[in-house]
Amino acid sequence: MDHIQLDTLYLPVITAIIFVPILAGIVLFIFPEKIKTVKGIISLIIAAPVLYFSYDIFAQKNMAGKVSLMDGITIKSQVINAWLEGVGKYTAINIDNLSKLITLLIGFFGLIIVIYSLVYINKAKGIRNYYPYVLITLGSSFGAVLADNLILFVIFWGILAITCYKLIKGYDEESSAAAKKTLVIIGASDGLMLLGIGIIWKISGSINMSELSITTTDAIRNLAFITLLIASFAKAGAIPFHTWIPDYVKKAPASSSAYLPASLDKLLGIYFLARICNDVFILNQWLTLVIIIIGVSTIIIAVMMALIQHNYKKLLGYHAVSQVGYMVTGLGLGTPLGIIGGLFHMMNHALYKSGLFLVAGSIEKRTGKEDLDDISGLSKAMPLTFLTGLVFALSISGIPPLNGFASKWTIYQGIIDFGKTPGVANQLWIIWLSLAVIGSALTLASFIKFISGAFLGRRREELKNVREVSIAMWFPKVVLALICVGFGVFATNFVIPKTFIPIAGDFQYVGAWNSTTISLLILISIVLGIIIYLAGNIKNFRVDDSFVGGETFREQTGFASTEFYKTISNYKLFSFIYRKAEEKWFDIYDLSKNIILWFNKKISLAHNGVLSNYAIWILAGLIIMLIFLI
Amino acid sequence: MLKDLFYYLIYPGFLFVAVAGGLLSFFDRKITAWVQFRKGPPLLQPFYDFFKLLLVKETIIPAKGSRITFLLAPVFSLFGATVSSVLIFLPLLGIKTGFTGDVIVIFYLLTIPSLTYIIGALASGNPFASVGASREMKLVVSYELSFLLVLIALIIKSDMSISLYDIINAQQPANAFIGSISGVILFIVAIFCLQAKLGLVPFDMAEAETEITHGSFIEYSGSAYALIKLTKYIMLFTLPAFIIALFMRGINLEGIGILWAILKVLAVVLILTLIRNTNPRVRISQAMRFFFVWMNLLAIIAIVLIFFGY
Repeated sequence: MDHIQLDTLYLPVITAIIFVPILAGIVLFIFPEKIKTVKGIISLIIAAPVLYFSYDIFAQKNMAGKVSLMDGITIKSQVINAWLEGVGKYTAINIDNLSKLITLLIGFFGLIIVIYSLVYINKAKGIRNYYPYVLITLGSSFGAVLADNLILFVIFWGILAITCYKLIKGYDEESSAAAKKTLVIIGASDGLMLLGIGIIWKISGSINMSELSITTTDAIRNLAFITLLIASFAKAGAIPFHTWIPDYVKKAPASSSAYLPASLDKLLGIYFLARICNDVFILNQWLTLVIIIIGVSTIIIAVMMALIQHNYKKLLGYHAVSQVGYMVTGLGLGTPLGIIGGLFHMMNHALYKSGLFLVAGSIEKRTGKEDLDDISGLSKAMPLTFLTGLVFALSISGIPPLNGFASKWTIYQGIIDFGKTPGVANQLWIIWLSLAVIGSALTLASFIKFISGAFLGRRREELKNVREVSIAMWFPKVVLALICVGFGVFATNFVIPKTFIPIAGDFQYVGAWNSTTISLLILISIVLGIIIYLAGNIKNFRVDDSFVGGETFREQTGFASTEFYKTISNYKLFSFIYRKAEEKWFDIYDLSKNIILWFNKKISLAHNGVLSNYAIWILAGLIIMLIFLI
Repeated sequence: MLKDLFYYLIYPGFLFVAVAGGLLSFFDRKITAWVQFRKGPPLLQPFYDFFKLLLVKETIIPAKGSRITFLLAPVFSLFGATVSSVLIFLPLLGIKTGFTGDVIVIFYLLTIPSLTYIIGALASGNPFASVGASREMKLVVSYELSFLLVLIALIIKSDMSISLYDIINAQQPANAFIGSISGVILFIVAIFCLQAKLGLVPFDMAEAETEITHGSFIEYSGSAYALIKLTKYIMLFTLPAFIIALFMRGINLEGIGILWAILKVLAVVLILTLIRNTNPRVRISQAMRFFFVWMNLLAIIAIVLIFFGY
């Protein structure tokens, strides 16, 4: 490694971005709920320099290496020093190009969400202690990303599960159930991760990620890998551990959804996936196959569920799952192209999906409606929301030259490149590629439904007074949309070489895509189009009501966008699957709940209240214990 | 950059494909007229239509809808058609400089016209247009997979290369891809995908005149409709050219090669025209089943055949 050793001067900065937000969050608990705006502004004052410092860390090109958080502390007392040395082992942090990039992104989303929340959370009936939890989440995310020691990592990772639980408000049965489901799924996966960490410690005697390189040759090593895989899948939301996301985003405030499931959880989950796949473990070809199968099935299953949703937040939630499939597939490939595609897609997804949730939050705030059937024609009332929403929607659907296309295109190339080499999963590249591409077409289909349902068409009478949201709510969206366009336009000649090649290594493109040239051509085309319009007879225009086959236009006349894909769900096979999915047959949470309740019922049969029976149970237990102990 | 601009705007870009596409549209209409025992239009009729719409006809803008989106959608559809045509024609004509894009990029760019029709239709606020748009979207979803499988099969045939130059070159020494059994099967699938992409009968349910009075385009008139017409001309030339590049080892513009090139284009367009004139329109659910089950099955059979060397 030609990196210079991590400058200890940076240690205070690193410590600060982890602990200042956490401590500030704890202090903010003391402030009363009434001065929410003050709390928001304090959070803003904390989040802005944190972003600056995370950029500072990112910008230090040569800074990399390992350090312990305790290194900077020198104390005279021998006893304390010895103690610090012992603790220092468990506070190892690791800075490399990957963790630097994720750090920057976390800082960025933290600031964006705090700005958006200033107005969004104040007016709506907010969650208790919203800002403290946002700040604690911010600090813990930095901690989780920078931690090298798995114990330190799991502590921060666990805090995130709790803040995620607290950032949704339990105001009715459904929302409490959603919060509980989130906590149970993430908490259970964290428990599994602890098991995996235990196994790793047993096998290799070290729990620092940078020191590990475990081959997945026997069952116990595979088990360790799979437990960590499940933890990362539950966080990022890959099938079958995704079911908390649609429920969570339906009930949580849009800013919480944009913050955790849409951006930070994806960043962390995929970060951890990248770590365990590339650094901690050396995968065998069957594990690669499993990861890719989960990736592509996540893409297809979640997008098929998104197609039939009426609630626009839930629709976005299913897409937050579906897009994870691309990242998992890309990282599962294990080639530089695949890893770059997966990480690039992770970054892009965080950008446009948090943007989409902010759009959803704006619509909800101005209309108070959550169903696509109840809103329509908002494009004129909320032009900025519409424009940014359109950019995000086209971006997530992978329309060139936006950023979603650039990363999907990299993943597709990765898949084709992967198919050239021998291996079980490699031979099946045709299936992976077709499913990934058709998933992207279905994404487009369901976003056409979202855009047309919310923004296009005729505005309803009751929505006549809807206005654009205030600057604190549109500014974050505009920033995100501009970055989406910028990353798309400069994808091949700036973003990938500057940001991702340092992480994954150099590679050769299989295909060719001149993002900047073609983006320039779009500008020229628009000019050309306007010239053709002006050269033509456009000044001679007339505004008239639509022609509906000679009928008079009534308020109910229309074709609801939620009916668009009835044809698909009318096919017998799909209607069966959809019905079962609505009954939660495929929900791992409900399945395991049913199994546990079944066992509960069986065990409760023994509790019949007869004293002599209990005495026999106790005696039997004692005898069994004796047999085992002797 | 100036060279790129020339490629994009003049040759083989916008101007070239628009004129050639207009002439092909005449060919299509003339054949249709002969099939129906009519005399047919004069050679320049497509251009008369275009300029009449652009210069003479009044543009009616729907009162309740998103006007700017409605008017900008045709501009973007023109962009999609033009840029994909440039990316197809540069390799086809053997021009090695300038910007490039692989077949996956072309595949994505070719969906932009359909996408913009959908957005424009939805922006008009007309329920018939919404019906048309939803059908168009479902049609896109159904043929996308078949078309991709065709491309994948050809990528395998040309040794895993996804550049259009290499796919054309892979066919040069030996026979063209259409000369093998798998090639013929893939060609059939590709022709039906083209039919759907161009919105021709039997897959014109998105603009079914007799049923939903031109569906997606019901509200378009005047200049905006002129741009859509232009996009349709360009697509009528670009997509057959893409098929020629993929299956018939491109074209050769030396001496007698020019005649062959023209004949190849006319032959593909003739097939499309004959299919559209001899078939009734199908329902959207039938079209979806047709692509999802039968066309995909054919494409998969072809891929299996490729693995056995046919």
